[in-house]
Amino acid sequence: MKKIIFLTALFSISILFSFSQITSATFGTMKARWLGPGTNSGRITAIDGSNSDGKTIYVGTAGGGVWKTTNAGASFTPVFDKYCQSIGAVAIDQSKPSIVFVGTGESNMRNSVSIGNGLYMTNDGGDNWKKVGLDSTEHIAKIVIDPKNSKNIYVAAPGPLWSDSKNRGLYKSDDGGKSWNKILYINEKAGCADVAVDPENPEIVYASTWEFRRYPYAFNSGGAGSGMWKSTDGGKNWKELKNGLPAKPFGRIAFALAPSSPQNILAIVESASTGLYISSDGGESWKKQSATSNVEARPFYFSVITIDPKDPKRVYRPAYTFSYSVDGGYSFAGASNEGAVPHADMHALWINPNNTNQMYLGTDGGVYYSLDKGVSWLFIQNLPVGQFYHVAFDNAKPYNVMGGLQDNGSWLAPSASASGVSNADWSELYGGDGFWVQPDPAHPGYVYAEAQGGSVSRINAKTAKSVDIQPKQGEGEEKLRYNWNTPIVIGTANKKNLYIASQYLYKSINEGKDWQRISPDLTTNDKNKQKQEESGGLSADVTSAENHCTIFTITESPFDEKIIWVGTDDGNLQYTIDGGKKWINVAKNYEAAGIPHQTWVSSIELSKYDRNTLYVTFDNHMYGDMNTYLAKSSDMGKTWQRIDSKEFTGFAHKIKEDIVNKNLLFLGTEMGLFTSLDGGKNWFRMKNNIPEYALVRDIQINPSTNDLILATHGRGIMILDNISAMRNLTPKIAENNVYTFKNAPIQLTNGYFGNGGHEAQGGWSAGNPASVPPIQYYLKNRLSTDDVTVEIFDNQNKLLQKIPGTKRKGLNEVYWNLRMTPPKVASGGAKIDYSSFVAPMVLPGNYKVKLKVGDREYTESLTLVSDATDKTFTIADRQLQYKVAMNLYHLHEKLATLVDSISKIQAELKVTVNTSSDKKVKEYLTEYNNALETLRATLLATTQLSQFADEERLREKISSVYLAVCNQEAVPSNSQIANVSFLQKEELKAEQKFKTINAQYSTKAREYLHAK
Amino acid sequence: MKKVLLSILATMIIGFSFAQDLTADQIVNKYIDAIGGKAAWSKVNSLVMTGSVKVQGAELSVISTIVDKKGMRQEFSVNGMTGYQIVTPDSGWNFSPFQGQKAPEPITADDLKESQDNLDVQGNLIDYAAKGHTVELLGKDDVDGVETYKLKETLKNGKIETIYIDPETFLIIRDVTKQKANGQEVESKTDLSNYKKLPEGILVPMSIKLPFGELIITDVKVNSKVDPSIFHPSK
Repeated sequence: MKKIIFLTALFSISILFSFSQITSATFGTMKARWLGPGTNSGRITAIDGSNSDGKTIYVGTAGGGVWKTTNAGASFTPVFDKYCQSIGAVAIDQSKPSIVFVGTGESNMRNSVSIGNGLYMTNDGGDNWKKVGLDSTEHIAKIVIDPKNSKNIYVAAPGPLWSDSKNRGLYKSDDGGKSWNKILYINEKAGCADVAVDPENPEIVYASTWEFRRYPYAFNSGGAGSGMWKSTDGGKNWKELKNGLPAKPFGRIAFALAPSSPQNILAIVESASTGLYISSDGGESWKKQSATSNVEARPFYFSVITIDPKDPKRVYRPAYTFSYSVDGGYSFAGASNEGAVPHADMHALWINPNNTNQMYLGTDGGVYYSLDKGVSWLFIQNLPVGQFYHVAFDNAKPYNVMGGLQDNGSWLAPSASASGVSNADWSELYGGDGFWVQPDPAHPGYVYAEAQGGSVSRINAKTAKSVDIQPKQGEGEEKLRYNWNTPIVIGTANKKNLYIASQYLYKSINEGKDWQRISPDLTTNDKNKQKQEESGGLSADVTSAENHCTIFTITESPFDEKIIWVGTDDGNLQYTIDGGKKWINVAKNYEAAGIPHQTWVSSIELSKYDRNTLYVTFDNHMYGDMNTYLAKSSDMGKTWQRIDSKEFTGFAHKIKEDIVNKNLLFLGTEMGLFTSLDGGKNWFRMKNNIPEYALVRDIQINPSTNDLILATHGRGIMILDNISAMRNLTPKIAENNVYTFKNAPIQLTNGYFGNGGHEAQGGWSAGNPASVPPIQYYLKNRLSTDDVTVEIFDNQNKLLQKIPGTKRKGLNEVYWNLRMTPPKVASGGAKIDYSSFVAPMVLPGNYKVKLKVGDREYTESLTLVSDATDKTFTIADRQLQYKVAMNLYHLHEKLATLVDSISKIQAELKVTVNTSSDKKVKEYLTEYNNALETLRATLLATTQLSQFADEERLREKISSVYLAVCNQEAVPSNSQIANVSFLQKEELKAEQKFKTINAQYSTKAREYLHAK
Repeated sequence: MKKVLLSILATMIIGFSFAQDLTADQIVNKYIDAIGGKAAWSKVNSLVMTGSVKVQGAELSVISTIVDKKGMRQEFSVNGMTGYQIVTPDSGWNFSPFQGQKAPEPITADDLKESQDNLDVQGNLIDYAAKGHTVELLGKDDVDGVETYKLKETLKNGKIETIYIDPETFLIIRDVTKQKANGQEVESKTDLSNYKKLPEGILVPMSIKLPFGELIITDVKVNSKVDPSIFHPSK
């Protein structure tokens, strides 16, 4: 018995060992490209700047972490990529600006808001962070640091949106963040929405509490728990402020003190009579102002009002639009439309207190800055924090990616472009909130896209002209219920099929011109979940975001177009095997595997390897359940196995099965991308230049490039170029100390693009994928005391290049530029000659790759091929190009030998000229040296020492044609070929001249040299 | 049989628990031991390292000379042309003739200040406290699949270095330096590998991975005679 236990323990440990070997670090050479866009960004939730320099600024985002600039916005770096990406608040300790607090969990409580996992702190400007508490508050709205004693920190936590919870209220630390106490708590339904500290008397603290709640089908803002509060003893005791405020119940209250005159307070109070209230006596009494509609707009979503740090009369209200007041909030003007028009829906504003002209505004579409107190604005174009819902790709070369974004429409961009995918490459297809975009496979250049609530159109991607194709309510049908994020899906077995769905499923075979309804209502049709017109609470808020009992996901079988699976937001999972005549609901079956009743079906992946197998993700977060639900069925949904892992975090959005290796699975959740190499038994979190808690909403794999394409809800589109290594590096291979992979044939190329790229002018750029695939090998362990090199040989065993190899644990990649070693070029002269960096490209054929690890060697073959379809540059053309390039290569080396011979004699002569005392000797040797120098000066540029002088001598002439021939993907021209023989003759003449000079001087010169 | 299994298990557990809680000083001391020990390094007064960087198959040769507290010169040669960077306690120069620069140019006062630690031939970690630097253990962090010790060293001149030490060899495998000179914040990352023991008993990395390529050191001379004139810019 003892033995058994013992062996089991050993076995489980060894399992732990063998499986812990492969992680994302094993594939650490693979780095995702962040495509952006930066043309429009994503929702910004918090901005704070360093008062002391006015140019170090932190930007918190809805789903893209924290970005830092140290140059007022010229460039940004993400500094929070190992942590939760949803940010609610950011605060710099202005007395020591390297200390920064970040509260995770945005508090703009819309339907699609993410959740946080606590409060973080850095004391080195964002290089390193630690979590300091408040783990379960899920949402944090504001952090305020006492300006006179930065050990006192207040954190307003509205708390969970989807459930009752005690983890909400106003928290305080009086030891710089080490420990926290809840100092204002109402009940499990009401948290703290806003807090402010009187800068002159920091014992005076104001706070607003807020009762709110979301359900999948409704929102409520307001209740008895909402109120306005004041403490005069640093938060120990509180009194409710009422005098002059409207009758309760309240909803959300946003408020601000005038920093230069803190008795003056402005508050926007959501209530039956929502409005702007003003106090000039520290909140003891209030008066209503005649506020504009922008001041009163959507209080649950626009919760910022700010007063100028120096001028108590200048008030800013960033809300639906941007308005400002010069009379203390009595009247408001709107920002000018000159320059950038700030994106609607605003959530953050930072004003530099030492230069109040300078301010930064956070909106649903990114950050804007103003240098004239918010009257006019410029847009910051280098924050790629767009919130995509889905992504698709087309068959173009390079392929295009496309998808829809929260509040930013639908966009398309190539996956590669001449200057690297930059802002200029993105184009907008459609407006509103964007979700699904699908390319029309039969008509390149046309796409299907939508705005919220099922406004689906067919669009010409070039002109952005569109035709509405949304199916409308028919006679005898209930009102159509389109999800906020209505599915638009192209058939898998038959690409001509186009599907969209309300509570019914529709199919079109003529690009959406005509529709056939192919299902009854596939939802639960629960009428209690369909009272959206009553949603919002104190302020009506009916935007289709709460539409419920709708179809959310549609998938056609890759085996048979008559097999279609459908998942709904209220938990139904149904399929048909006869194109929609009969539907079978398997919702009860998945519940048996531990998935909760009526859980939102977020994605369905029908296996490409077996017609009865499918994977499904479920999302139950709208009932307060943040677990990761993934399940698999191998019998058409009759029975299910839940797939779980300790690695998982976040509710699940998308499951994707690889298109080549059936054991390779990818799972995208609200908090990360996860990979399994063994069919779902073991999982690891993908890092690979992907934020570790990225909100991964959609995953696609392009079969022509093997790229993994991610739609992130806060970091734009990401592409992990060519994931083939993840298919090839099996757990068994990983047991080897060193493993070399078979090389697939590589096509000779200079790359897809020329040198058309314009240098960076700001904005976001994603770069391009590598043009030539790398040579790959695997090392079980990192090498610290051994060398690794990769040598390339031709089929004559001639060494072409020796490349330093990387020594990392896991997959290693070495890039060979498919060229030889550059020639030895005549040395010296006025400038460097670029021929010494350029070698001819080798010819198609068989090569050898020798990997040297310490004293061991591993050899693999490598075949290079040319593009057989390219009739403008044939094999014969390549052979001629190679021959001409090699003639020039040898000519360079001949010239180098000649110049070396000259220089060597000159060096000898100079020594004697400098040391000899015999005038005759000196004169003779100087004359000899001068003759040589005259010759040398015809061989290479020697005189014009300037970057801007193009002195051209024989070396430069050879380089001119050599570089052209080496770098072109074309047969050499007759002019280039003629030029070579001309230059060869010039070089021979120079050799002859050298001989003549030596014949004239050398005999006597030797005597002088030896005589010394 | 049981005994054998036990010892296997014990080895595994040890393999697991190498991460006993070491302090920053313990890690620094293990590192110093790993590179040959303080005694061996205290005998080092100058280092001359010769090597090359390959860029697209072309070779850029490099000679790096450091004389303790006196001067540093890094010389780059390609195709018969030579450029250099010089730092001494009171001046610094750049010369990059490759595109026609005519004369050496002085480095800024900020750059000079932040380069001073390069004149410490032993490296900053030996006797760091006496030298006015501070070291803090930030915990563990993944470097290319190795769960390293992450140390933050704040140098006397304000420069911040984050150092990643392999827990098996106690050698530095990555060094990230943050400079704040000239009103800019610039980060540079260097990966170190292929450590070799020299006859003098010290270990030095023979592969230094820089952002533009890998510097392969082929020769290291310890305490060779260095002509002090190399720390003055030449015409």
